[in-house]
Amino acid sequence: MLSRLVLRAAPAALRALPPPVAVGVLHTTRTLHTTQQSLAPVPPLPEKGGEVRHGLIPEEFFQFLYPKTGVTGPYMLGTGLLLYLLSKEIYVVNHETAAAACILTVIVYAIKKFGPDVAAFADKLNEEKMATALAMKNEAVQSLQTAIEDEKKEQWRAEGRSYLFDAKRNNVAMLLEANYRERLLMVYNEVKKRLDYQVAMQTLKRQKEQDHMIQWVERNVVQSITPQQQKESIAKCILDLKALSKSAHAAV
Amino acid sequence: MAGRRAALKAVDWAAFAERVPPNQRAMFNALKTRNDALTARLAALPEKPPAIDWAFYKANVAKAGMVDEFQKKFSALKVPEPVDAQTAKIDAQEKETAKSTAEYIQASKARIAQYEQELQKLKSMIPFEQMTYEDLSEAFPETKLNKEKYPYWPHKSIADL
Repeated sequence: MLSRLVLRAAPAALRALPPPVAVGVLHTTRTLHTTQQSLAPVPPLPEKGGEVRHGLIPEEFFQFLYPKTGVTGPYMLGTGLLLYLLSKEIYVVNHETAAAACILTVIVYAIKKFGPDVAAFADKLNEEKMATALAMKNEAVQSLQTAIEDEKKEQWRAEGRSYLFDAKRNNVAMLLEANYRERLLMVYNEVKKRLDYQVAMQTLKRQKEQDHMIQWVERNVVQSITPQQQKESIAKCILDLKALSKSAHAAV
Repeated sequence: MAGRRAALKAVDWAAFAERVPPNQRAMFNALKTRNDALTARLAALPEKPPAIDWAFYKANVAKAGMVDEFQKKFSALKVPEPVDAQTAKIDAQEKETAKSTAEYIQASKARIAQYEQELQKLKSMIPFEQMTYEDLSEAFPETKLNKEKYPYWPHKSIADL
């Protein structure tokens, strides 16, 4: 409270430190103004206020009187005070007292009956706000982390550029080599084609000459066979056949 | 390239493929198919053409001197190597990309530092349950209400509600 007012002037860096005390339910009595007012970071405010008895009197009072008067001390004090006020008419009982009594009864009854529900409802509203805020924060943290991951991945990817250039150079080298080999092959093929052509021409020529010669010789021979010779050769053939048939008859 | 026998550097295509971002897959596939086609073409060609049997031709070709002439010219023939115009360009490209990659990595590292810083700030924030609205405005400056511009509640334009 007051300590927070003082600390608003403190540098913001101190506020970045996480608070050491967890947000727990503090049922212990709060120490009042016992610490130095230079506490940073500020401890969180307790969830519940200090303990009170009968809704009015703080517990510290009873603890304060306990060593001297025991458990019933404060009650005796209270009763005595009340009787003193009433009997000496320091507090006058009038119509407003009755009104106050009725009103207070109704109020206390209502709070006791509906208090927890209203408190739960209010807590739920707060919870929802907290939940959305927390969700947003978690989402932000998540997205930052994925962003960092992605950046690192992109860096790793960029390192692989040497592969690309090696592949390109390989392509170029292979293309040049293939071209060179194709050229060599072309030269060889052309020369071989020409030489083979010469050889083929020669063989063809020789063959044609041979064929022509043979045909010419045959033609001339056939021409030179005179009819006289033909008759003689036919007669000879017949004689041979007869001889053959005689020998065949004999064989059979 | 100095001579014919520029060694082909082995490219680890698997590792290469890993590093390709998805939006450049198509280009990578095109490069790979080109490379495969060239490899196949190169493998199909013999390294040296077979030797011509001059003795056979000398014996069989009747024309005098033709085979000798051919042989002389053939052995004197130098097939020109194809000129390499691209490797220089590729090297230049490589240098350029090295530079731009270095720049990109610098920028990326700066971005990572920034993200780390924000992450740190978020992680070290006090839990929302213990914050006041002032603390919230400190942690997230965009939620700060502009009390100079809008002096009356709700301190922001009605459209932003």
